[in-house]
Amino acid sequence: MNLLRQHRVAAFLLVLLSIAAFATSQKDLVLLVSGGALAMLSWYVTEGPRGRSLPSLASNGLIIALLAWTLLNFLGELDLTDSTAVLGRFLLWLLVIKLFSTRTTYEDRQRVTLAVMLVVCGCLETVEFIFAALVFLFLALSIWTAMLWRLHASYEAARVSRRGDGGLLPPPLEVSVGRRLLPQFRRVAFFSIATIFVGSALGFALFPRFGESRGDRSGSESVSGFNDRIDLLANERINESRRELFSLRWIDPTGTPVKSPRPIYLRGAVLDRYDPVTHRWEVLRTSTAIRAMRTPPDAKFVALGPGVPDTTGGVWTAEITMRSLATSVLFTVYAPFAVATDESYSVAFDPQTLLLRDVGTDHVGRYWWYALRVQPQPSPQMMETLQGSVDPPRSDVSFPVAAMVPIAQQILVAASVTGLPTAQDVRDDPSLRWMRNREIARAIAGWMRSGRFQYTTDLSSFRIEGGEDPIVAFLERNRFGHCEYFASALVATLRSLGIESRLITGFVAIEYDGSTEQYIVRESNAHAWVEVRTGERQWTALDPTPEDSLQQISERNRSFADNFRWIYDRVEFLWNSRVLAYDGAAQATIADRVQSQWWKYAQQTLDALRAQMRALVERYALGRAGTIWFSAIALGVVTALAAWFVAKRRTARTHRVAGLEALPHEEARVVARDCAFFADALDMLDRAGLSKPAPMTPRQHAGLVTAFAADAGMEFARLVERFYQVRYGGLRQSISDRAETRNALLRLKSALSRGR
Amino acid sequence: MHATRRRTNFGSIGILYCLLVVVVALASVNRPNNLLVWIFAAMLVALLVSGIVSGAMLIRLRAHRIEPRRARVGELLVVRYELRNAARFMAAFDLHVVERDFPASITPCGEAWALHCGPGDTVHAEGVFRPSRRGLFRLPCFEVWSSFPFGLLRKRLIFARVSEVLVEPEIVPLQPALLSRVARGGLMGGVHASIEIGGGEDFFGVREYRSGDSVRNIAWKRLAGTDQLATIERSRSVPPRVRVVLDLRRETSALRVASGVDPRALEEDAITLAASLMALADRQGDEFGLTVLGLDVAAIPLRRGHFHRAKVLAALAAIDLDLPRDPSASLRESAERATILFVHADRADTSVSPSVGWNFTASQLSTLRLPTAHGAAT
Repeated sequence: MNLLRQHRVAAFLLVLLSIAAFATSQKDLVLLVSGGALAMLSWYVTEGPRGRSLPSLASNGLIIALLAWTLLNFLGELDLTDSTAVLGRFLLWLLVIKLFSTRTTYEDRQRVTLAVMLVVCGCLETVEFIFAALVFLFLALSIWTAMLWRLHASYEAARVSRRGDGGLLPPPLEVSVGRRLLPQFRRVAFFSIATIFVGSALGFALFPRFGESRGDRSGSESVSGFNDRIDLLANERINESRRELFSLRWIDPTGTPVKSPRPIYLRGAVLDRYDPVTHRWEVLRTSTAIRAMRTPPDAKFVALGPGVPDTTGGVWTAEITMRSLATSVLFTVYAPFAVATDESYSVAFDPQTLLLRDVGTDHVGRYWWYALRVQPQPSPQMMETLQGSVDPPRSDVSFPVAAMVPIAQQILVAASVTGLPTAQDVRDDPSLRWMRNREIARAIAGWMRSGRFQYTTDLSSFRIEGGEDPIVAFLERNRFGHCEYFASALVATLRSLGIESRLITGFVAIEYDGSTEQYIVRESNAHAWVEVRTGERQWTALDPTPEDSLQQISERNRSFADNFRWIYDRVEFLWNSRVLAYDGAAQATIADRVQSQWWKYAQQTLDALRAQMRALVERYALGRAGTIWFSAIALGVVTALAAWFVAKRRTARTHRVAGLEALPHEEARVVARDCAFFADALDMLDRAGLSKPAPMTPRQHAGLVTAFAADAGMEFARLVERFYQVRYGGLRQSISDRAETRNALLRLKSALSRGR
Repeated sequence: MHATRRRTNFGSIGILYCLLVVVVALASVNRPNNLLVWIFAAMLVALLVSGIVSGAMLIRLRAHRIEPRRARVGELLVVRYELRNAARFMAAFDLHVVERDFPASITPCGEAWALHCGPGDTVHAEGVFRPSRRGLFRLPCFEVWSSFPFGLLRKRLIFARVSEVLVEPEIVPLQPALLSRVARGGLMGGVHASIEIGGGEDFFGVREYRSGDSVRNIAWKRLAGTDQLATIERSRSVPPRVRVVLDLRRETSALRVASGVDPRALEEDAITLAASLMALADRQGDEFGLTVLGLDVAAIPLRRGHFHRAKVLAALAAIDLDLPRDPSASLRESAERATILFVHADRADTSVSPSVGWNFTASQLSTLRLPTAHGAAT
């Protein structure tokens, strides 16, 4: 019986999966390969042609050595935060040793238990999607294995229970099996697995939540460049991942999607404060004029400020489809003045920074679409209308690292800026100040792009000497780094020269897909650049990072797998945004939405029905009684359907109990009509707990019923005789016969009720 | 037959599992980890699915005990159960059938189990029992249970269906020469010619030839003398005959036994010896009959064959030793030609009958037993 032997293979696969899951949780390829290979080898060694297993002495010795090694390592480092990982590794290698031990049921049980513990350790270590996928696979396989194990355990119990007693040997256990065992087992197993998954999803959605979820609501934000700070010492954001985050369609004023000749900078955060102690760039939260607005549904544009002119013509549109990035930031191209979303969202607009953020909690899904109308060269009037009152230009601009001032002076000299207005010119004409700022900034940015600094994301050799600022280290000694260093250096230099500037983080759109006429923005496109104030309300974007470096990063590591990577990205995105970030607010939102949708749907259906009814009433001029007529007809239809269903069921039952399947259709129909009373009688007996055992003939059954209830048995015996006459004697019941049969049924019913 | 009751129980695994679910639930509430929440939900649903699947499997299951009818002490009783799944879609797996409230003298030594019973299928499972006492026993009800799919919940269907099992006394192998010594060499026993016409070897008489008579049976000498055809008739040969008389005239408490000996056990041994003697006679082709003195059991005439043996053993099985005895009962004289073997529970009593017979006592059972290869009586 194959089914009774499959549990061992299933349990072994479970063990392999647990090893893979834990290694994934640790992100340890060596552990995965070595542990997995040894585990697979164990199957060949123990179950292969020679069927060897590790002697218990050797096995115990190895376990003791492993325990000692683990303890020594753990006590040597004594990192309590790493205790779960240490325990997991110990369990993993213990499991591998156990795999080489003897293959008994007891050992199998131990292995499965260890596998479950290993997965639990993984659960405590990570909640990442790939690990969660393995956990769900583990869960499905566990269900399958548990079912196989149940059958095997029962078989073993029944087999062992046949013990010899007093020198008597019982006959060996013969396994009783019906037809189509395997397909039916698979059906039950798949039903169980599917029900558990669907039910657990429902349970997950309804589970009461009392706090914030552990999962980061912003999903992969932490590794994608959108948190509102930069830590120059951490160097954790910028990477070369080709994970697709969103797509951008850049539409010109004529409504045609085009490829921009220059990279498109999508602003995500404006960082204007540098902390020289922590070496972090942060948002200086001074803006108090945040505007909250509700976007209309159906992708209708809404202006970002009161009185913003409707400049439908002559403006550019950026359509962004978020694919696998869970963030509340709406990335904007400078300078936006209207926004549209696929659904109605609550959006906050900061006039000071021209940034947009989704502040509503009324949606869970982060796979969404929005569009922005932007004016790359906005007029001062438009900016004034859009921004209202904003912080005026500052005259006391400085950078909090004193060492930067001489460096900035040196750079200014090195950049050899010429043709600048003199200080007297600026005093005479304040507007020249903005031109001076722009020229200096452009010159220094150009100087930084000119090959003196090398772009790299590998900062392993970036050295900072005691107390030195990373920006100074970048400019003075290392001269390599990524965009954050370039942008930080430019801002630091400009501010040291008294020029107001700020650091911007977001994405740069470079990779254009001509087939879909849109830009693909990946994780590696995360970027930082600079904005310099070049007017009362005007800021000019400058990118000190060499453009070809960005292009190189974008094109590096491209492979065939990139064509399909979006599938994984999207599922991971859904996991992050809809599972890990699922909390009480999201639960309430879903509840509200379901309720409102249900009401909406019910009302729509009701309205449609009313409208149809009204139309019919008018068409046939039924007047006020039309409603009554329709109600009566509907009631009649429902009753007829119910009656048809009951009659159909009764006929099918009569066919079964009277064995009419073999008869020709017409004959079966006639006989079934006359034999229906017998099915009714059997139903009555069934309800009274006197159902007919399959091997009994109706007459024998009547005898059995008589033994339990004499009156009922006699009545039933009469009905049985009538049944024989109809079924086998060719009798066709007349009206009086049917009346008599009905009376006999009533008598049987009353006899059975008396018997109770 | 419908189940009369349905029950659901938690096994030890189920209880442990529930505790684990509670722990995970507390952890989920305490630490808002959504993966943990999902696992908790999956565990909870697995519990529900376990109940739903096992409940759905058994909802249309019908079970029927196939009447075991007879058993014998010292032999295994195999009870068969017919399981029929009347469901249309749902197959039933891992079906255990166990007897409930069965007498203590019947020890289960093999569980009835069916791996699978598909929709519309009928399968049989067999349970094995070892009866340790003879008599008529009732099997009042049985249950079908399953803990499929995960072993967390045990769903039970209880079928109240009474069956009666007649447990025959044990038949011990006796020394084969026993009967030949006491019966075949005696005056009343042994192979002899009967007074009836039959196909034996001995001469019975001569009659007129009838058409169809074999030429081999023609009396040629007579033909030569009288010139008339005549046919020789031969008598029927009768096998040795043994009547076993079980002496149960004394009440159990009135038996004359040494202290420390259980008189009821002696009576049971006497019954076993009687059964064994008749089984030996049957095996050797003798005719045998049974008379029970002291109880209202009809004497069974001398016959042989499978059905006769079953009849005799059934009569012994049905003896109720708690009934009042008739101390005045005796074996009536009859024209029956048979060796009479008296089996007494305590001591030989020659006052039973004037007939000549052989007396055995229950305590002789061990000595009459066929020795095993190791020298000890089994």
